[in-house]
Amino acid sequence: MAIDQVHDLQQVYRNLLDCMARPATIRKVEQTTGLSEEQLPCNEALFLCALTVLDAEVSFCILAVDGKTEKLAEMITSYTLARETSMEQADFIIVLQDAVKDQVHKTLSVCKMGNLINPQQSATWMIEVENLSNNGGLTLHGPGVKQFKQLQTGCSDTFWQTRNRKVKEYPLGIDLIFADQLNQISCVPRTTSVELTEVS
Amino acid sequence: MQTKPHFAFFDEGSKKEIRRATLKAVAIPGYQVPFASREMPIARGWGTGGLQLTLSLIGKKDVLKVIDQGADESVNAVSIKKLVRHTTGVALTDQTAEANIIQSRHRIPEEPLRDDQILVLQVPNPEPLRKVDAREYMTKRMHAEDDYSGAWLILFEQIIKYQKMTTGAAHPVYVNGRYVMAPSPIPRFDNPKMHASDALILLGAGREKKIYAVPPYTKVESLAFEDFPFTKESFQGKQCNLCGAEDVFLDEIINQATGDRIYQCNDTSYCVDRLNHSEEKEVENSYA
Repeated sequence: MAIDQVHDLQQVYRNLLDCMARPATIRKVEQTTGLSEEQLPCNEALFLCALTVLDAEVSFCILAVDGKTEKLAEMITSYTLARETSMEQADFIIVLQDAVKDQVHKTLSVCKMGNLINPQQSATWMIEVENLSNNGGLTLHGPGVKQFKQLQTGCSDTFWQTRNRKVKEYPLGIDLIFADQLNQISCVPRTTSVELTEVS
Repeated sequence: MQTKPHFAFFDEGSKKEIRRATLKAVAIPGYQVPFASREMPIARGWGTGGLQLTLSLIGKKDVLKVIDQGADESVNAVSIKKLVRHTTGVALTDQTAEANIIQSRHRIPEEPLRDDQILVLQVPNPEPLRKVDAREYMTKRMHAEDDYSGAWLILFEQIIKYQKMTTGAAHPVYVNGRYVMAPSPIPRFDNPKMHASDALILLGAGREKKIYAVPPYTKVESLAFEDFPFTKESFQGKQCNLCGAEDVFLDEIINQATGDRIYQCNDTSYCVDRLNHSEEKEVENSYA
């Protein structure tokens, strides 16, 4: 079944909003794109999130292995009319699982983080991961989290350390959206304090 | 021939733009995110911000409640409900517990909100520093520099003049210890309900083209001084003349002929609910 741009994306948005308001909450996206695995270079949840927020007014940048990058960029552009740009200027940074670690860390340090007058002019990351769970991993505190919550994303410690440096000068920072193979999504906005705990 | 309106009135591009601003607003609690603010079929300053948020959120399965000054049946609430109903066909309700999107002007319902509900507040004046400086360029700079001396000074001047803080509505709050925010013109009575709320609170100002938010479980403190602590409106010794409720926000009604004052719940659906409930109990207990 093909995607319904009106009702399906509304549902995805509500899940996204709920996850952004309640960091570490994991929500399942029930919608399908109607595209087969061969047609889609990333997982479905990630593509649905991209369809929900991207349009001609914003730009994106993809971090993935060669070949996949071009294919996904072409798909996103033809579906949403958003334009591809450099990692320093992109409003949305889309990271696939096979992206080179060094490139991801470099992008984390150079991507947009807003300025004090306009902190909203920052990059939002959409990250494809294997599996999201609330068992162990990171300990999260902050707005939207009652006491504390745990989240496991599969991202490296170096990634989270770089992210923590990037959000140090609040309100500047970046917001992260994770999407996994099981069509689950979760968010970590800039306000969330992320503590790295021992891998259980 | 009448053409059918697009679902939720907006084109999908407009919704996307509002949605992006909302996500950013949630990520930076209390910060006013600028957005395009589309032309709406109601006048700017009459709830267009709230309405745009509601339309960007709403889906077929949602149940909507709209209140205006605590009432479900006043003109503004009814017009907004009619527009949303006409363009989406969603179910409407008066019951706070049944709704999952609650759009409100001037009040937060008496009944505590749940974590599966979203409260949308209509805001006429989102800028708490507008009295300090008329220029947007300057107030944005003050927010950036965490310079809220102006907001404190307004309250200080009130204390010097009247020996108390005289904010009737929209008493400014500190959100997450960083941004000072106008909580929309809700009475001071409702300010504490924003602190660590279970529900997500979204605020929309259509005329001023701003969207901001208070995520759940976020620290919201009303501005106050050590020797002049924040106080809610007090209704001590008064109760609703219809349902007898105490510790709720009451309207004062003056009888023109006799000059007598009576008090009545401001939140009409809360009052009616209590009345129905007590009537049910009466029926249960009578042996007639």
